[in-house]
Amino acid sequence: MIATMFPADFAYARADSLEHALCLLSEAQADGDDAKLLAGGQSLLPMMKLRLAAPQTLIDIGGLTELRGVARGADGTTIKALTTYRALQRDPRIAAAFPAMTDALAVLADQQVRARGTVGGCVAHGDPAADLPAVLLALDAQVTLTSAAGSRTTPLDSFLQGVFATDLAGDEIVTAVTIPASPVGSAYEKFEQPASHLPLAGVCAVVTVENQVITSARVAVTGVAARPFRALDAERSLVAARPEPDSLAAAAAAVTAGVRPLSDQHASGPFRLHLARVLARRALERAVSRATTVRSGRGC
Amino acid sequence: MPGSRDVIVEVTVNGARHTAQVPARTLLVHFLRDRLRLTGTHVGCDTTQCGACTVALDGVAVKSCTVLAAQASGHEITTIEGLAPAAGADPGPGAAAGLHPIQRAFQQAHGLQCGYCTPGMVMAIRQLLSDNPDPSEQDVRHGLAGNICRCTGYQNIVAAALAAARQLREA
Repeated sequence: MIATMFPADFAYARADSLEHALCLLSEAQADGDDAKLLAGGQSLLPMMKLRLAAPQTLIDIGGLTELRGVARGADGTTIKALTTYRALQRDPRIAAAFPAMTDALAVLADQQVRARGTVGGCVAHGDPAADLPAVLLALDAQVTLTSAAGSRTTPLDSFLQGVFATDLAGDEIVTAVTIPASPVGSAYEKFEQPASHLPLAGVCAVVTVENQVITSARVAVTGVAARPFRALDAERSLVAARPEPDSLAAAAAAVTAGVRPLSDQHASGPFRLHLARVLARRALERAVSRATTVRSGRGC
Repeated sequence: MPGSRDVIVEVTVNGARHTAQVPARTLLVHFLRDRLRLTGTHVGCDTTQCGACTVALDGVAVKSCTVLAAQASGHEITTIEGLAPAAGADPGPGAAAGLHPIQRAFQQAHGLQCGYCTPGMVMAIRQLLSDNPDPSEQDVRHGLAGNICRCTGYQNIVAAALAAARQLREA
């Protein structure tokens, strides 16, 4: 007998439109069903195989082409929820506007997982150690959530709440992530767990440098605490500073101020905090270098 | 409750259409192995890490232990069994008949020992070379991050991938 893993039994329904998906979701809710949406399944299915999740119903939204693609508008760049990492990685507009995202996509999971995993699924999953939320937080992204009653938009920073906990209501679907126009001085650095490729720590830095002075800075950290977070102390220390090694090192040292770290068999809390500070300095150096190389460059 | 516990799966695998009713929780890799008896696709780690179960879904490499058969319904799958050219094609000097250039490169570069990871490696390299026909050694190593081998130390797998790349570029 070969030992093998498969999910607990569930009922499967394939949605053929967003409207249909919302209808299936309401129906499941009305029946008191524990339903989950299935997009790429690269996080949900492994959790189901480990029986860490055992939804009664899976609503497969993976085939909804209306939720795929990248569009640019007045609000910035909108990445529809079912856009895969692979599709983003191959989109030259993303590489040109958000170098930090390209950094993250290159080291996120592996090519097979990137072919199925989706941006919306990542955001909805609320994994404290996902790569992309650090990048999206540092890029000040907004999440669009749609229910039968309509749509709402909320900052990712308030959407993420804790370990696998988000502000997603039971009748809502993450339909898009929108990134406002952003400075191209951005970079992402991670230190990964070699089997899962998840970051033990990952840091994204986004800076604007004008006349040899940092005029804006956002720094976000993932893998270290219960949810990816903005390092506000570090950000404040950078504004109006010169983009020089001392000021970057001081900001990097501040990214873990007041943080209660995660600790597990892969890395202790103090080690994660140390990694975050080292990676923050590297990310800041690279972001500053990009900001000053592409002097006139602005995304979107 | 919406949905059903059994689903009809209609897939085209290596060019042949198949229809079967299976429990909704059936993973694509088990559908391929147990229903279709295509046992070239292996189950290694079962946790989306080792890549032994890699197949092409609509032409793109995925881990078939992390796709439901139901999700694959309506789509096209290529497994390791579907990779080789038809019997009778010239395999090239010293190579066994009926091998794809990547398979032949594995044979010639000694890219396998126990062979368990090999089908997944070959399917992953196929994707890698389709995305980047002229990869550096570093590109190959990075591209194979989702495939684990416990025998070879990877050296000859990387050598096989680079040899296959050269051959496919010249073809």
